Amino acid sequence: MNQTAAALSGAFALAGVGAVAGLLTPARWRSAAVGAATTGVGVTGAVAGIAAVSGTVWQVRLADLLPLAGVSLAVDALAGWFLLLVGGVATVVGVYTVGYAGRVGHGPSARGALALLPLFVAAMLLVPAAGSVSTFLLAWELMAVTSLLLVLAEHRHSPAVRTAGLWYAAMTQAGFVVVLLGLAWLAAAAGGESFAAIRAGTAELSPLVSSGVFLLCLAGFASKAGAVPLHPWLPRAHAEAPSHVSALMSAAMVKLGVYGIVRVAFDLLGGGPRWWWLLLGALGAVSALYGILQAAVATDLKRLLAFSTSENIGLILLGLAAAGLLAGTGQLAVAGVALAAALLHAANHAGFKTLLFCGAGSVLRATGTRDLDQLGGLSRRMPATTALVAVGALGAAALPPGNGFVSEWLLLQALLHQASAGGTVLTIAAPVAVAVVALTAGVGVATYVKALGTGFLARPRSTTAAAAVESPPTMLAGMGLAAAVCAGLAVVPAVAAPALGRIATSLRVESAPLQGSGVDLRLAGIASSISPLWIAVGVVGLTVGFAAVARAVGRARRRAAAWDCGDGPLTARMEYTATSFVEPLQRVFDNVLAPEQDVDVTHPAESAYLVRAVAYRRRLPDRVEARLYRPVITAADAVGRAARRLATGSVHRYLAYMLTALVAVLVAGVLR
Amino acid sequence: MGLIRKIRGVGRVAEPAPEASVRPLPAAAGLGGSVQVRHVDAGSCNGCEIEIGQAFSPVYDVERHGVRLVASPRHADVLTVTGPVTVNMAGPLRKTYEAMPEPRLVVAVGDCARDCGMFADGYGVLGPVSDVVPVDVQVPGCPPEPAAIASALRGLTGR
Repeated sequence: MNQTAAALSGAFALAGVGAVAGLLTPARWRSAAVGAATTGVGVTGAVAGIAAVSGTVWQVRLADLLPLAGVSLAVDALAGWFLLLVGGVATVVGVYTVGYAGRVGHGPSARGALALLPLFVAAMLLVPAAGSVSTFLLAWELMAVTSLLLVLAEHRHSPAVRTAGLWYAAMTQAGFVVVLLGLAWLAAAAGGESFAAIRAGTAELSPLVSSGVFLLCLAGFASKAGAVPLHPWLPRAHAEAPSHVSALMSAAMVKLGVYGIVRVAFDLLGGGPRWWWLLLGALGAVSALYGILQAAVATDLKRLLAFSTSENIGLILLGLAAAGLLAGTGQLAVAGVALAAALLHAANHAGFKTLLFCGAGSVLRATGTRDLDQLGGLSRRMPATTALVAVGALGAAALPPGNGFVSEWLLLQALLHQASAGGTVLTIAAPVAVAVVALTAGVGVATYVKALGTGFLARPRSTTAAAAVESPPTMLAGMGLAAAVCAGLAVVPAVAAPALGRIATSLRVESAPLQGSGVDLRLAGIASSISPLWIAVGVVGLTVGFAAVARAVGRARRRAAAWDCGDGPLTARMEYTATSFVEPLQRVFDNVLAPEQDVDVTHPAESAYLVRAVAYRRRLPDRVEARLYRPVITAADAVGRAARRLATGSVHRYLAYMLTALVAVLVAGVLR
Repeated sequence: MGLIRKIRGVGRVAEPAPEASVRPLPAAAGLGGSVQVRHVDAGSCNGCEIEIGQAFSPVYDVERHGVRLVASPRHADVLTVTGPVTVNMAGPLRKTYEAMPEPRLVVAVGDCARDCGMFADGYGVLGPVSDVVPVDVQVPGCPPEPAAIASALRGLTGR
């Protein structure tokens, strides 16, 4: 039993302890006990991940644990990367949960909701650790069910939670069905259900089977990852779930969709024809653009973060597509860089999105609202939370010295430096992808300026925002931990280079896509390097230095009231709201977003030339959902209504059905 | 390169500037000959505004002497005030003055701004500008001629 095995076994044992603790401890100590257990699961999971990416692989088959197939675990470097990611997020969320769930004993700190939390984390650790199709599917379903129950934790609170749960349940189960079909087909065709057997058997697969398996698995995994157009569950579930669950889902769970795509497409199927990668790239590009546009116009803080998850998943998929496409044309070095960019962005996104969702949770706890138009002024009332959210927003906006910048830079380098030998398709696709990444990054900056600026700065726009109180220390500690990880990833991403090299080797691309000396990061096959440490030192040093010089040399400073044109007083109604801030952007992308706007002018009774009140309403429905899902839902509804006539409640009729079915089966058996 | 060598060889051919005809006010010396002006109408009949407008017109063109009208007291060195200070405008005038960065100067333009003129003792009149903010320069006249306004402003720029 090596280090990976010991740590992973410890994680599963701790998860069990945590679940029992959640069920048995009184409400007063429940969230502390479960939070500690979840942190323990996270830390041990992360240790297992670190051991695995350092080269300590582990395989085990427990034939007696489950009937028929048994349980088979296989942890390699790729699995280790995602174990580390899930473990890291769970560590932060565990600490945060202690303060967030509190001691009230209902809602997020109810017995069931807390007992499920460590189990959810354990299920997420089990997914990358699975070494066979049956174990993988089991873990996948466990993850889906536990997360669904956690989303529904506050179902008494509002009907929106129930709707979100319904959408999530339907989509995650549909996704499970296609993944099940795909992997079962693959296992049947490859002649074995363990991943090792499939790997050995994929060479003889017909293109029809491998493409079919790829399409089915892509559909299932992309829906879990929240890629557009398979995303409608994501903004609902992420927005309505308790915030620590949102953080776990957005930062860790959707990444396992990415893991599934990498595992099946790169590892098990060993790559494929060009159209696979173009399809994956198109999916990524659409997700990135549509996700960030919807995030930019969202006024609900958590909905904004959820759509931003779609955007980041899009960028990750774009990197994976580039890696597959480039590896197919023999440019292994650049393919390795693209793969490293995608995986590093997955880790970066996990870091800043955990932080941001926890921040949104703190805001929600302090003010009771997620509506950015009702917030503002939190920087005075909640200075620590604001500072921590600013670190996350910097990373999410992909600006230096944030952590998102490094991985997006790597992705752009890989896309820009593909050789012209790649063929016409690649020559056209790469610049388009560069443009997509650039536009996404630009709108992303506007999105996070909006989130931070209208949500936290300026004056409070509502009484609840004005009365906000700072979060308890455990919540701040959890967020501080996430911020420290973000800062570390932003400044010394080179620490991940050996791990990424091991993953790249196992996926048969360049063995060391990134080399780092701690200070700078050099790319394989591309004459280009970046020094995130010096960028951070430069940006921070210049800012601090400039401020210091200005203070030392300039005249004595005088405090003056904000200029109010001599009239005043300034009120929060004069500020930019989240809606008004993005109005120009919304106007530019009018054709894409198709907002529904309504201006109502009421006149006094005396004259139609005078105006008494103007009411402005704006709705931004999700177009993809309206066009793609509504017809399906309407059709399913119609089928359900029609089928209702079969079940009238008459026992005689049901007995007749049973008799008919029995006779039909017997006849079929005889005729066969 | 030839052009740069030529420029260096020819040197300066413009005639030297004549000796400045006006000496800047000592208080305005720190402005360095460039004066940004914010205007406040504290209750004027608009006669003085018309004349100030003329001072900035092509005929007098005080901008060539380094005076520029700006849109916010935050950008301004000098405040021009016209009219007797009415009760309603006293607060905004004080706030405008307080919003200006230091060093700051006030020019009271017109007789009303100096001593309330024909509106003295009116029911809505609070008093002359010097009752509300400290005045550095006064321009007499009802209304003052553009030339008088221009010369007062040139007294601040020294050009």
